[in-house]
Amino acid sequence: MPEVDVFTAIANPARREVLRLLRDGGPHPVAQLAERFDMSRPSLSEHLRLLKDAGLVTERRAGRQRLYSLEAGPLHELAGWLAPYEQFWREKMSDLATFLDADDD
Amino acid sequence: MTDEPASIEVDQYLPHPPGKVWRALTDPARLATWLMPSDFAPVVGHRFTFRTEPRPGFDGIVHCRVLDLEPERLLRWSWCNGALDSTVTWTLAAEGHGTRLFLRHDGFDPGDPWQQQAMRIMGGGWRSHIMRALEAELNAG
Repeated sequence: MPEVDVFTAIANPARREVLRLLRDGGPHPVAQLAERFDMSRPSLSEHLRLLKDAGLVTERRAGRQRLYSLEAGPLHELAGWLAPYEQFWREKMSDLATFLDADDD
Repeated sequence: MTDEPASIEVDQYLPHPPGKVWRALTDPARLATWLMPSDFAPVVGHRFTFRTEPRPGFDGIVHCRVLDLEPERLLRWSWCNGALDSTVTWTLAAEGHGTRLFLRHDGFDPGDPWQQQAMRIMGGGWRSHIMRALEAELNAG
């Protein structure tokens, strides 16, 4: 089990931005990520550590660099929990439409 | 990315007059048929409970209170289940020979970051911008 849940991990806009960069641009070395943020390297490292603990990113060495990649698997946990709620209301709206068609005065 | 309003919004055109739609929303027997069984009464302040079959992640009980009511126009109730403390608002608008029914599900405890984030996601900000792209990517992979 990851030490940090997905909700905590994505609660922060900077961490969501990291995920977006990794999604759109593929694996990034940490230096390249750092260029995109107006924050200290230790702060960015802290965000990356938390994303790693949540299982959302992986880190591997490539020569002298550390490369970060997106691991989208845990996001399914999120979608699995959330999608049903919106789906619930859409189904209920549809049930209401069916009900009204049959609801004679 | 920006933070989006924390709500789910769904609307549907119903080829029936607002009065009939209102009746389906406020008559407990009718409400039970299409939504869930409850002890609802169309009185502001009335506390009621929806009960349905439990399923994973949902105990099947939703605690509610009527918060606002304008006949054939607006109905708002609180919607509490577990950590979720939210509000459901139904709005009716005459459209052509029928009614457009709007549902808005929002409201959360700002002191609860988990819930705040969960609701923000439920509102579609994260999911529409990120999840769909991710899912498409994963499905293609």
